Amino acid sequence: MIDWGLVAKVAGAGFGVTILVLTLLAIIVWLVSLVTRESESQGEEKK
Amino acid sequence: MFGLYESAFGALTWGNIVMLLIAGLLIYLGIARKMEPLLLVPIGFGVLLVNLPLGGLMEVTDGEPGLLLRVFQGGITTELIPAFIFLGLGALTDFGPLIANPKTLILGAGAQFGVFFAFIIALLIGRAFPDFLEIGIEEAAAIGIIGGADGPTTVFLTNKLAPDLIGMTAVAAYTYMALVPIIQPPIIKALTTKEERAIYMKPQLKPVSRRQKLLFPVIAAVIIILLVPRSAPLIGMFMFGNLLVVSGVTDRLADTAANAFMNILTILLGLSIGAFMSAESFLQGESLVILGLGVIAFAASTAAGILLAKLMNLFIKEKINPMIGAAGLSAVPMASRVVQKMGQQANPRNFLLMHAMGPNVAGVIGTATAAGVFLGILG
Repeated sequence: MIDWGLVAKVAGAGFGVTILVLTLLAIIVWLVSLVTRESESQGEEKK
Repeated sequence: MFGLYESAFGALTWGNIVMLLIAGLLIYLGIARKMEPLLLVPIGFGVLLVNLPLGGLMEVTDGEPGLLLRVFQGGITTELIPAFIFLGLGALTDFGPLIANPKTLILGAGAQFGVFFAFIIALLIGRAFPDFLEIGIEEAAAIGIIGGADGPTTVFLTNKLAPDLIGMTAVAAYTYMALVPIIQPPIIKALTTKEERAIYMKPQLKPVSRRQKLLFPVIAAVIIILLVPRSAPLIGMFMFGNLLVVSGVTDRLADTAANAFMNILTILLGLSIGAFMSAESFLQGESLVILGLGVIAFAASTAAGILLAKLMNLFIKEKINPMIGAAGLSAVPMASRVVQKMGQQANPRNFLLMHAMGPNVAGVIGTATAAGVFLGILG
């Protein structure tokens, strides 16, 4: 007997978590890119 | 044979003969059509070997496991081979396009829709034909992951949740990866207008510094594994393999991971997966259903990626070509090549390959994450 509540949890929450994790990673990568670009351009100005 | 020992002819069944023909087909597709030859040739030969009776390659004889059973138990059951293949994949992957355009990570995540869609469809089909098919939640998850178009992840998850299906799901995943140029174009055409396919994207991506490339595998491993711990074997090895390359100080290790080590693992994986396809385990109605569900999963993933890209275009200033959403599958670089080809057909000025590589690589991360989510809930 299939537990359809569990199915809904796996499909809905599973897909949701996948989206959430990669979206969070995208935001962090974007923020890190901003910071590293900023620090690299400051480093070049000092030179 | 001549009264000395038993030859295998008498033990050959019709099932074995059908499987030998399938082995021939896989080897033919690999060699003559060059479809995923590095995988289909070893898988095909594994199928051939295991369907020649009395060889004992996948059986326990006098308490001793046969050669391929030993490889299977040591490499697949222990999850060593799929995890270490991810090490090699990491060493072969350039995250530059993804770092240059991080929103492509979201496209890679969106394309995982097919995985969860096929999971539900598999359960519904199992429910409709309970006497014919035994598909529980674990089996449905193993079938759904085919939609990610990632062979090692499919093997990894199926081994954990539904080991009896490993031959079928692996062959479906690898075969459909090879068929991406045939499966995707009609779906892309159906979901996009000619104007959308012609949307121009600047050929140059933003420059990515060495520091960004160094930070990415470390940050990605930490974030993903903290949020989805069961994805650690795949994501951990994937990011470690990449760090070996981008660090610039472990060239020998990176070279081994990307070449010799990867090749050894590919041989072992292919042979042992093929060896799991004996007539008794493969020639069942279930196999056809799994192959059919694999196509549904692939199509749904492709469609979800395109639709998500179109949705993103409603909110961003610089429009993206929605076709790059179709590359959110893990089939690297086949899905990107399809987008590049169709992009040039719609607008000869377009050069979409690097833009498509972002979601394509994100798809690998997305599928491994989805597998970790399945394991977290069901494992």
